[in-house]
This record gives sequence, structure tokens and C-alpha cells, in this order.
Amino acid sequence: MAKKLKVEKIIDRLVHLFLPWHTNNQKARLIHPQIIILFVIKLVVFQVILQFIPSSGLKILGYAANIAPDEVVRITNEKRVEAGLLPLEMNPTLAQAAQAKGADMLNNNYWAHVSPDGTQPWSFFINSGYSYRYAGENLARDFTNPVSAVDAWMASPTHKDNLLSANYREIGIAVIEGDLDGVDTTIIVQFFGTKYTDTVPSVPIAEGQPASTEAPQVSISPTPVPVAVTFPSPSPTSSLVAAETPVAEAGPVGGRVLISPFSTTKGVSLVVVGLLLNVLVFDGLITRRRRIARIGGRTFAHLSFLGMIMAIVLILKAGQVI
Amino acid sequence: MKKIIKDLPHYLSLAGILAAGIIGFMVFSYERVFLIAVAIGLALAYVAWGIIHHAIHRDLYLSVVVEYIVVASLGLVVILSLIFQA
Repeated sequence: MAKKLKVEKIIDRLVHLFLPWHTNNQKARLIHPQIIILFVIKLVVFQVILQFIPSSGLKILGYAANIAPDEVVRITNEKRVEAGLLPLEMNPTLAQAAQAKGADMLNNNYWAHVSPDGTQPWSFFINSGYSYRYAGENLARDFTNPVSAVDAWMASPTHKDNLLSANYREIGIAVIEGDLDGVDTTIIVQFFGTKYTDTVPSVPIAEGQPASTEAPQVSISPTPVPVAVTFPSPSPTSSLVAAETPVAEAGPVGGRVLISPFSTTKGVSLVVVGLLLNVLVFDGLITRRRRIARIGGRTFAHLSFLGMIMAIVLILKAGQVI
Repeated sequence: MKKIIKDLPHYLSLAGILAAGIIGFMVFSYERVFLIAVAIGLALAYVAWGIIHHAIHRDLYLSVVVEYIVVASLGLVVILSLIFQA
């Protein structure tokens, strides 16, 4: 008897939450403004917790990526060929420079073209021994595969200009995994360049002038001509991985199971919005069938708005490019 | 359904707002500032739509406005959380 009462109580509670009933003023409790506000507060608290996990020392957040530098080069060259340009050649010195840039970002905990101490990207070209005529840099982080990273660069006009510039002949890629702001992150550094010696016209000896041994002009001021340096203008401890090998394996990294903050947020958002959409559908159908008149917003409008939110949640992808 | 057909201009404008939101997110993917602007714009436009729609129907009450604000806030928090975690 007591068990039956308990089951009835649970059923009543579920009806109260999910369906319009006399106990909830003919409107499913889950879609009452007070309850939706609770969802909003809980989502905000959840985000705050996600932000505080890294500072608490728990290393469970991160992006499990599987990005091979060779793949980034291949896809980049595919885009160039499609645009009628010559493919770029992989240059080990440029890859070394890119790796140095990635290491610098992780060691000094920044995510930008110019380091906090003012080091410009092309310093890494020079320090690695790459004398350039033209140089460029694209950066990406938190992508799970090379296709989405290159697609993101192609979607941004400034990065696309770099990627499809006819000035460049060589490319160097570094894919580096490490802690950035306490979150395990995968950074892709894409360096483009053309060696100074490749573009200096040879002077006929007959003219009696010595062959040019002049060092390339290196400047950290904006774009001297003809030496060009371009990177898209906006917006700890590291583990470096050789440019020839994929860096971060999908799944557990170094014995730790990583949780992607983006994927977790996306999952939670889909559950919350999906739940409210379902309750709204049933609530709308039942109130229409029972011809219940009530003061409130239009169910169809809420359904459309939350449907759009659901679509946006599905459209949004992880990853940043600068 | 009859109600929706009767108010077709209202719902067409709502569809326009929502379609603009989705297109904005597709076009400005990876442009964080634009995405934030589109998300805030969408939430404000939805609340404005709700107020205008109910005002025309002469059933605009404080509880109705609060309901639209709450639903828009939920959408905004969901989208902003994802933008900042991306």
C-alpha cells in the first residue's frame, strides 16, 4: 500500500513537471519562468566550475586532437591548387621556427601573434636561420582534426589571404600540445615563407658587379617593401612534439582522461534545450486539445526560438584561429 | 494553426529573425566578436518581437514580458557558453 502511494507520488510529480495539470496552473512546471531561470543559473554555475577546474589543479580538461602536420600541409596545398596556385614545399627550418613559436606561446602562456614581451612572429624565422623575402603566420587551437582547422582559416578572409598568397613558396607546420591557461590545448602554428635568396635576381657577371651577398632586410616594423611579413590581424609547461608526427592522440593523454570543455558544454546545452523543446511540444498539444486559455508567451514562438538555439548549438564548432 | 495563419506577418518576421541568426552563425563562424553580437542581437530581437506581438493582440502583461526575457536569457547563456568555450 505504502509502495503504491510512493509510485503514485512519483507519477504525480512527473505529471506536474512535464504536463499541464491543475497542480501547475495548467502549464508544465518545467516551462515556468522560475524553473527556466533556475536552468539559466545552473548553466552559469556549470561554466564557472569549468573555469575553476584548471586553477584547482585538477587536470581533466582539454582537447584530444589527432592532427598530423603533414595532413595540414596536404590540405593547405589542396586549397592552393584549387585556387590555381603552386603547392608549397615543406621546409624543415620553417617547421623548426613554427615549433619555437608554439613553444614560446605555451612557455609564456599567451595566445597571440605578438608575445607579451613584444617578440614579433618573424623573430622566430630569423632565429631559426630562415632569411625570408616574404613571411606569414596563421595560428589555430583546439581543433580536433586538420580539415576543420584549415576550413576555419579559409573561412576568415585574412587567414585565407595568407594561405592563398602567391608570394609564398614554402611552409612549416608545428602541432604542439601543452597547458594554456590550465587547459590541455593543441596549437597549430602555420608558417609561410619565401627565402630571400629565391627572389633576389641574379646579376649577370658580364656587368662586372659582384654577386649579391647582402643579408636580407629584416625589420620588425610593419611590412617594409619588398620584404613582406604578414599575419592576420585580429583579434607553463609544454610538451613539444616533432613536426613530423601527430601530437596528441585522441582519448587519454599521458594516462589522463581529458574532457573537452566545449564538448561537455555542448552536451549539457543539447540536453537542456532538448528537454524544454519536448516539454513545450507536449504542453502545446495538450493545451490545444483541452482548449486551455492562459496568460503567457506563445508556445509556437518559444518552440521556434529554442529550435533555432538547438540549430546554433549544432552548428558551433570548437577551435579558434588568429 | 489557424492562429498562426491569421498572424502570418508576425510569424514571418519571427522566422526572418531566427533565419538571420542561423545564417549569421554560419557566415561568422570563428569570428568570436561577431558571434557574440549576433547572439545578443537575437535575444533582444526575440524579446522585442514578443512584446510587439502581444501588444498588438492586447494581451501584454508583465508575466508575458518576463517569460520572453527568461527564454531569451536561456538561449543567450547557452550560445555564449559555447562561444567562450570554443
